[in-house]
Amino acid sequence: MTLDKEILTEFVEIVGKENIDDGEVMTNAYAYNWCMDLFNHMESKPAIPFSPIPKAVVLPSSTEEVAQIVKICNKYGIKFKAQSTGLGPWNQPSTENSIIIDLRRMNKIVKIDEKNLYAVVEPYVSGAQLQAEIMKYGLNCHMPGAGPQVSPLASATSMNGPGFTSPSTGHSARNVLGVEWVLPDGEIMRLGSRGLKNNRNWYNGDGPGPSLRGIMRGWAGAKSGIGVFTRVAVKLFPYPCSTKFKLKGCSPNYDFDIPDFMRVYVIDCGTFKYCEKAMLRVEEEEISFMCSHLSGFAVMAIFATSIEDLMDKMAIGSMKVPLVVIIAARTTREFEYKQKVMSMILDEMQLTNIIGSLYTPNPIFYAEALRSNLGLHGFIATGGFQSTKGVCDTAAICLRSEQKNIPLKKKYIKTGAIANDFGEGHWMTSYESGHYFHVEAPTMFDQTEQSSVEGMADYMEASNQMDLLKHLGAPFFVEGDKMHETFGPHMMNYHKWLRKIKQAFDPNDIADSGFYISRKEK
Amino acid sequence: MDMYNFHPYSGGGKIILALLLEMGRINPSDELRDIVYKCTECGACAISCKFLNTLEPLEIIMKLREKLVDAGCGPMPKQQEYIDSVKNKNNPYNEPHEKRLDWLPEGIKLDPNAKVLYYVGCTSSYRREEMAIASVRIMNEAQVPFTILGDDEFCCGSPVLRTGDTKTFQEFLNKNLDMIESKGIETVVFSCAGCYDTFKVDYPLYRKYNFRVLHVVEFFDELLESGQLKLINEVPLTVTYHDPCHLGRNAEPYEEWEGDVVDLMPLVSINMPPKPKKTGAKGIYDAPREILKKIPGLKLIEMERIREYSYCCGAGAGVKSAFPEFALNTAKTRVQEAEDTGAKILTSACPFCSTNLQDAIKDRGSKLKFYDINELLLMALGLETKSLKKKMAEVA
Ligand SMILES: Cc1cc2nc3c(=O)[nH]c(=O)nc-3n(C[C@H](O)[C@H](O)[C@H](O)COP(=O)(O)OP(=O)(O)OC[C@H]3O[C@@H](n4cnc5c(N)ncnc54)[C@H](O)[C@@H]3O)c2cc1C
Ligand code: SF4
Ligand code: SF4
Repeated sequence: MTLDKEILTEFVEIVGKENIDDGEVMTNAYAYNWCMDLFNHMESKPAIPFSPIPKAVVLPSSTEEVAQIVKICNKYGIKFKAQSTGLGPWNQPSTENSIIIDLRRMNKIVKIDEKNLYAVVEPYVSGAQLQAEIMKYGLNCHMPGAGPQVSPLASATSMNGPGFTSPSTGHSARNVLGVEWVLPDGEIMRLGSRGLKNNRNWYNGDGPGPSLRGIMRGWAGAKSGIGVFTRVAVKLFPYPCSTKFKLKGCSPNYDFDIPDFMRVYVIDCGTFKYCEKAMLRVEEEEISFMCSHLSGFAVMAIFATSIEDLMDKMAIGSMKVPLVVIIAARTTREFEYKQKVMSMILDEMQLTNIIGSLYTPNPIFYAEALRSNLGLHGFIATGGFQSTKGVCDTAAICLRSEQKNIPLKKKYIKTGAIANDFGEGHWMTSYESGHYFHVEAPTMFDQTEQSSVEGMADYMEASNQMDLLKHLGAPFFVEGDKMHETFGPHMMNYHKWLRKIKQAFDPNDIADSGFYISRKEK
Repeated sequence: MDMYNFHPYSGGGKIILALLLEMGRINPSDELRDIVYKCTECGACAISCKFLNTLEPLEIIMKLREKLVDAGCGPMPKQQEYIDSVKNKNNPYNEPHEKRLDWLPEGIKLDPNAKVLYYVGCTSSYRREEMAIASVRIMNEAQVPFTILGDDEFCCGSPVLRTGDTKTFQEFLNKNLDMIESKGIETVVFSCAGCYDTFKVDYPLYRKYNFRVLHVVEFFDELLESGQLKLINEVPLTVTYHDPCHLGRNAEPYEEWEGDVVDLMPLVSINMPPKPKKTGAKGIYDAPREILKKIPGLKLIEMERIREYSYCCGAGAGVKSAFPEFALNTAKTRVQEAEDTGAKILTSACPFCSTNLQDAIKDRGSKLKFYDINELLLMALGLETKSLKKKMAEVA
């Protein structure tokens, strides 16, 4: 189970003995992932939250050390799995004979270029850390719905990308500029302007310099199956409103001075068709900081900090098809303009904002919206949630996907495996002022109950099948051979191209591709 | 986590270790012991977890240690020496019990019938006498009648509890409570944050008692408010204050909750009425700051991480004895944060923090000077401080 002494010594020479551990306890701990119970069940294995145990865990401190580690993996045929913060799914090995490259020691904000609006970060910089620093320059960044505790680098390079601020900050794949990348054979590749021979810099991802952004991550990310990303530049945006951020009190009852020029709207659109129209209208005007359609239950959850606190928000829970819009501005004039436009849309569509009349959010909601923390509220009801769907498409397709999913969800709610959100628990956001849309179906289950874990996994499988049969697009958690080979033939055989990329970039089959695609067709 | 980097050194990582142990995927071993004991039980992880979650990483860490001790696999050898000394000599420093009162200077007025007891604690009795001396001199200055237990005082049990030996801990808890209750004491005052936290938060989990417990910062601030203490001297220093974990977030007591768990629907239940969360916010943060603000001429500058989010000094839960380098490096991080404020003086209110922070100041060659908060108070009261600092010594 453990590494040969000779191999261990070679790793020690790179990182020092305090930065590698092949102990039984350590390696077992790194086999844990909070989603593994679901994925194990889907593969007819016992539904436990553990993967195969890595042989060792290595903590490099630089790109060069990562490259050397990867070269040794190639020399001895050992697979590697990289992780940044380790919070997301699929950061544990999918196979035996592997090591974990935990990038925790690479934790620096390398550069903040406030003029050219980008920051260069290493893997273990969390979104929260980056936000705190760039706020000093009046800037903000995109954050996935996972929240500010995850790594902007991991999201930008390796995994998914929708977030609550996507209407104004886009998708993670669209936020990445220059990249430093250790390929699966240990070569170091630099993308965009970072790859220029002269005057190399980080400001551009697609040229001048080599552009391989699509190959590097495509839509869903390779989940460490195509190498290790060690530094990236991500886009920065002007802070959406006044940067006054005054928090008082203490957890969980913070008080917050709502910054100037920020306003929230919660609107019941009544029907899905009308919701589509309203979202498109709002986004057409390019005024939203956030624009999300959520179920009544989910809107209750984003305003609550505990399950008990959720219960006094029934006025929201009874809404049929809610839309949550936040507008934010930097000047009085901009703010007035955006509010006027919202009033005009509401009048035009005969819709009403319930905020201020039926419900007034606790001010901390505004702070959480600014720090992209709303996704984590999915945990408050049962302590566990996972998502299905995740299509990236038009608003109409997203809403169709949601509608189709409701009866399926209800079926599993009836079995008691998943919590009752009336089948409606969904989150849909626009990207970049409505140019395209994302929908997923966050679903609450109880990870401490075997039957709930298994029922949730069965429901996820059934939801994936439905996506296929009803042509709803691939779920955003499309990972591993089985999923790619199921969806690929229905989506222009993309999986064949993906496999070609894997073959070209990983000649010795060393990057753990259990959650990407393998070199050989099975 | 900051010092060792591998995930199991974090609070969340230790929850995974507990799960592995429960599921039988790992067994008690030296490797497990080393990871579980490389933690100061500072409680920072437990506080971070409380905004949306309800996990209790610190309680899980303490349970893990108890399990390791029960399995014959804990604590660390150096910590076991301290436990043996507590069992044999009533203090962790292997000092003769009869010398427990040696620190008491001449001329201090004690009142055997007083309702206020000053519980000195082992560290102030044997290693950081200056804290005990300052405390009793301030109480005399305020003319508060108080008593001490002398030979009848035993280790509070904190070093034993924090390293997982809950059985020995209960013996000492009972010895101390029996003694204090037999004397009809109404208020017990502590200068050691560790003893204070143990009496205030841990004792009631095993045995209820009826007296009031106060740390000297709370007690002295009350005396300043009531005018029993008068600050007459200017102390023109810029000072930054370090919140000890045992006086801050960990000193928030558990609130009793009697309610029902109501099933709302399958998998979803709520507590009726809502169960209070221990968020650390109700630790003792204002009293020391109030004292510092009342000292004429003193300027308080805060560090970045304070109150319930304070960074640990690195000495707690047996770390200073078992892993001195870990303790020192942690304290150096904190001292650097204190330096960044521009203050000239670092102060705190716990013998463990002061020892460890002073070690770090020395090791870093820092220009900061450390004073215990009582020393600053003595200066402001116009009392002599020279005799206080005799030696720097180990803490358990
Ligand atoms: C509660 C919750 C909600 C979520 N909601 C969303 C959401 O709304 N939108 C969204 O886009 N995502 C969501 N996710 C998933 C999210 O994308 C990831 O958790 C996150 O972006 C990845 O960052 P991380 O620091 O957690 O990465 P990790 O957990 O460290 O890694 C995630 C994956 O990326 C790989 N990886 C990480 N770093 C590197 C690297 N440097 N080089 C190569 N491979 C690497 C890992 O092997 C792993 O497969 C959610 C996750 C959680 C836990
Ligand atoms: S040292 Fe403090 S924050 Fe770290 S695991 Fe221990 S109690 Fe938690
Ligand atoms: S804060 Fe809580 S939920 Fe988060 S990792 Fe720590 S213990 Fe786990």
